[in-house]
Amino acid sequence: MSGSRRGSRPSNGPPVHARGPARPITPPSAGPLTRRAAIRAGLAGLLGAPFATSLGAAGRPLAPGLRWGGRKRPQPDDEIVLGVSSAFSGPSRGLGTELYRGAMSCFGQVNEQGGVNGRRIVLKLLDDGYQPDPCVENTIQLMEDEVFLLFGYVGTPTVTRVLPLLKMFQERQMYLFFPFTGAQPQREPPYGEFAFNLRASYDQETAGLVDNFVRIGRRRIAVFYQADAYGRSGWAGVRTALMRHGEKIAGEATYRRGTQFTSVMRPQVEILREASPDAVICVGAYAACAAFARDAMDLGLHVPIANLSFVGSENLLSLLAGASRDDPAYYTPWLVNSQVVPSYEDTSIPVVPEYRELMARYDPQVPEHLVVESYDPFPNSFVSLEGYLDAKLMTAVLRRIEGTPERGKLNDAVFSVRNYDLGIGERVSFGPDRRQGLQSVYYTVVEDGRFVTLNDWEAKFSEAGAS
Amino acid sequence: MSTNPPSEIRIKRLFRRTRFGIFVLFGVIVVSTSTLSIRTVSSQLSEEYESNSANIAKNIADSSVDILLNRNLATLQSLIDQFVEIQSIRYIYITSGTGEILTHTFVPGVPDVIRDSDPFATEPVERSLPGMGDFVEVGSPILAGRAGTVHVGMDLDLVRLKIQRATGQQMYLICIILIVGILGSIWFVKLAVTPLEELLSYVVGLARRSGDATTDAKVLERDDEIGEMARLMLHAVKGGTTPGAD
Repeated sequence: MSGSRRGSRPSNGPPVHARGPARPITPPSAGPLTRRAAIRAGLAGLLGAPFATSLGAAGRPLAPGLRWGGRKRPQPDDEIVLGVSSAFSGPSRGLGTELYRGAMSCFGQVNEQGGVNGRRIVLKLLDDGYQPDPCVENTIQLMEDEVFLLFGYVGTPTVTRVLPLLKMFQERQMYLFFPFTGAQPQREPPYGEFAFNLRASYDQETAGLVDNFVRIGRRRIAVFYQADAYGRSGWAGVRTALMRHGEKIAGEATYRRGTQFTSVMRPQVEILREASPDAVICVGAYAACAAFARDAMDLGLHVPIANLSFVGSENLLSLLAGASRDDPAYYTPWLVNSQVVPSYEDTSIPVVPEYRELMARYDPQVPEHLVVESYDPFPNSFVSLEGYLDAKLMTAVLRRIEGTPERGKLNDAVFSVRNYDLGIGERVSFGPDRRQGLQSVYYTVVEDGRFVTLNDWEAKFSEAGAS
Repeated sequence: MSTNPPSEIRIKRLFRRTRFGIFVLFGVIVVSTSTLSIRTVSSQLSEEYESNSANIAKNIADSSVDILLNRNLATLQSLIDQFVEIQSIRYIYITSGTGEILTHTFVPGVPDVIRDSDPFATEPVERSLPGMGDFVEVGSPILAGRAGTVHVGMDLDLVRLKIQRATGQQMYLICIILIVGILGSIWFVKLAVTPLEELLSYVVGLARRSGDATTDAKVLERDDEIGEMARLMLHAVKGGTTPGAD
């Protein structure tokens, strides 16, 4: 399944503000605050107070009460501006693009119908290429630009670097809504209070995968993961789930973030093959995970290879189908992907027809000046469906703010969401101790060139498990 | 038996010896200074890098307690990832109180040497990791080792390269000083030898004339010791007596 090339077309969707590289920020009270200083502040936030002093820029520690300077840009009366730092370039650009497309198809309809209390929802887009430091810089830029809130960030290594920034400047009440990551840092203290999540966590995804593998007798589970916070989050989830079954991780191999599909994964495959696993759980992005699945098949590691929802299933499938010359399904019989949204092929789910119709109607495109490398978007995908659901819930939250939108009203608006029906069969509720809307995890395998729901693990992997 | 004075006399031997002496002296100075300098720089840089690594390990250890207690390994990974961007730090891993590797920065996997090592070691130890190079690893305990240990690997090859650069720069400076010193010394020696040669030449001239010595040589006009000696020679050849000789 693949879409046509549209990467260079101008946007025809709802209004979007997109910006280039960020500028230095100058707080009036404490001398110049550069992005480097703020990045160090993020590091200092991770390290805690003792080290924060020594890491302050140019020997100047960032005081807790440091105010943001620059020009205040009050939002127009007819707009609600959401700040987005996402992956629109690099090997993971498909994730940022698909998430954006799904969200904009929803916001497009909202704006067409008059917006939220007469205000149009506008996204201010910045590209971080799925890299932490640019993401921190973009967030500083967005905060300086006085966006109403942060929305739809992509990735764990990026989000985990931003969280200390939000905590450090918590008096600004800047919240991050529905990041595309299932990691724990934005779900737990000390940063959980600065983010709201919709999707299930990686802990839930990995626990589900491990439980199912163990249930069908595949107890030796190895992990292939990205060498960063995202990979570690998934690794930790697998480890915890295996411990509940009295098992340990059978073997592990890593790769560097940003690895391309053309990379050779032979060393990683050989490391894991030595561990003789019954299954491998991959915690990575589509390019590297596709490369691993390809090389695992070629080198004879024929065991189920599971991927988490972040992988970008359609992108993964597209790469693997393109890599096999004769049989598009050659590299895919062992794949099983966990998802945090239901199948977009199942039109019996109320939200699916609605999503498909709006995706077809608006067909949102990333603004041309943010398109560094071409990308063929998919008409529908799990990631864009998640983006659609994020936007739908975001709209519901914004509608609950009475009067003029103010950040101080956001918490109450979110916490008033109780048993909200997104149309996927699972109701969404939030509260001070409940900052994740959905809990369900779905499992899919490849059939006829597309991911379909896996109903029978035993039949799919138990017999075929003679590796 | 009378002997004829040589037709041309130059003070080559004296100059040669002096020059040799200068070379030897400067050689000794250069070798001893360089040796001391290289040892000092090498030792100080090694200690500095080791100390930096130990400080980083300690800072991570001090900061990891809450994160570890919260079992927030993603945040811990994010923390150590930032330190690996620091030059000369090549790997970091954190072991738990039971010795399990909880988080690390190795790609494509944790080397067997690391897996087989003492997870609680804190003393600096040199490691050679296949395919990665040579490292000095320092450790720092978290909560006295009960919560775990932070291990920081410093790239020895990079440190060696930096030491080589630093000592190379010092050697370069010392060599320049050596060359300038030798050239300067030769020039100063020549300053002393040239009048001596003039005096010698004059004395030879006096000897050839057998008492009919010239009285208008330039060396006689010198107001230094050479001029004084030339005038004394002339005085002696003319049959005078040396002042103070009797």
